[in-house]
Amino acid sequence: MSSQHPVCRALEPDLLSVAVGEAGPAAAERVTAHVAGCRLCREELGHYRAVEGMMDTLRRVPLPGDDATLARAQLGSRLADLRSRMVGFGIFPSPLGPILIGRSEQGVAIVQYLPAGGSLPGHVRRLLGEDAVEDRVATEGLRAELVEYLEGRRARLDWPLDRRRMRGDFQRRVLDATAALPYGAVTSYAGIAARIGAPSAVRPVAQALRWNPLAIVIPCHRVIGSSGALTGYAGRHVDLKQRLLAVEGVKTVAARNDFKVNREAMYTMVTGDREYCVPTCGSLRSLPLTTLTLFSTREGAEASGVAPCTTCRPDLHPLPA
Amino acid sequence: MAEDAFEAVVAAHHAEIRRYLLRITAGGSDADDLSQETFLRAFRAYRGLAPGANVRAWLFAIATNLGRNHFRAQGRRRRAYAAAALERTGAAPDRADGQVLADETRAQMERVITSLPAKQRLAFIMRKMHELDYTEIGVSLRCSEESARAHVFQALRKVRRGLDGHLVGTEPRS
Repeated sequence: MSSQHPVCRALEPDLLSVAVGEAGPAAAERVTAHVAGCRLCREELGHYRAVEGMMDTLRRVPLPGDDATLARAQLGSRLADLRSRMVGFGIFPSPLGPILIGRSEQGVAIVQYLPAGGSLPGHVRRLLGEDAVEDRVATEGLRAELVEYLEGRRARLDWPLDRRRMRGDFQRRVLDATAALPYGAVTSYAGIAARIGAPSAVRPVAQALRWNPLAIVIPCHRVIGSSGALTGYAGRHVDLKQRLLAVEGVKTVAARNDFKVNREAMYTMVTGDREYCVPTCGSLRSLPLTTLTLFSTREGAEASGVAPCTTCRPDLHPLPA
Repeated sequence: MAEDAFEAVVAAHHAEIRRYLLRITAGGSDADDLSQETFLRAFRAYRGLAPGANVRAWLFAIATNLGRNHFRAQGRRRRAYAAAALERTGAAPDRADGQVLADETRAQMERVITSLPAKQRLAFIMRKMHELDYTEIGVSLRCSEESARAHVFQALRKVRRGLDGHLVGTEPRS
């Protein structure tokens, strides 16, 4: 052990620094001068140097089990898996409030409204899980297009989609049928049920649309109740649904905590037909909304591949704008 | 893309990080798991890393954190490490004659290192085995550079005391 002499004690930190080769010139000089006359400290310095030498040796001897090959290979496949699941996201202000957009390797994975205020990080974590990183650069282009869409300057969001957040085959079919609804068109939950070949599954369809991982992009806002009421959207945000439909030219009237699509102001087609009409054509007025698809504009109807009715001639007698 | 850059990070650092984990944990399978977990975590956070950041020190910090959680969770560090240390003592090929370290002395040294408090032990291994500087060690242990140095020196004192009677001092070079 080192001498207990106060001079030796005071020098001890310098002595260690010298032993490990980290001493400055002044400390090195102090130690050299001291150990020249102090045998105990000289020996102590020798001991510390011996420990350093042993550590050097220990660092150089091969470490048993030092073969990273297997771990590296496993890491490679786990990284590939993580990469494919990883979502880069951005949170942006929009005319409809803050919106979260996330994309993975496969495509756009999530578009959701966020509550204004509140704990955003917690909310985002719940929506995205652990494998998500903020990446505004990767989502900026999407944001710009979405804003154009919300301002009525763009009618399509042609984005590659990552559909892995959809829940099961039934929901996938519902969302696919919904995605096929053209801009400015509305149909009912029953209409979607009929489109997927499950006409009695109206409630399950409505249930499936309660969770739409790709809000706006998959236009669940174009699916309404059989009465024409908007019924529900993004929790209690039926007002957002009304605003999205208004952007697409769908006229609604306010009705008791809800809005109702004004059938009189919409071009009308029996779902599955090849022609669209003015709403007063023939017996259309008496048909329930469940069997109909409504269009806000003739252009929208025709863009989806249907022709003007040869009886009521909506092309010659358009609805008042 | 960030992904390609991350491949380079894995290539450059995985083997060393695994070696570090091998030294601070019970051995091969823990080091395999924790080294993978280190890089999966690093990948998740990589895009947020400041340009020019010290990637190696950052990886040591993640590995250290995982290692410490692992010790806490397993509650078996000392026992396991002691076993692993003894095991290692048995296999040390290719030693040049001038560097021969008596097995007994080395076993004693590893026992002393194993019995050090966690921060001193980790700081000591990072410094002496992986030659990280004190700033880097401080990042790993979430302490100042000065504290990191103090941990290493404190460990060194204990190792030296623990080897009393095993050491043949070398004469200091003047």
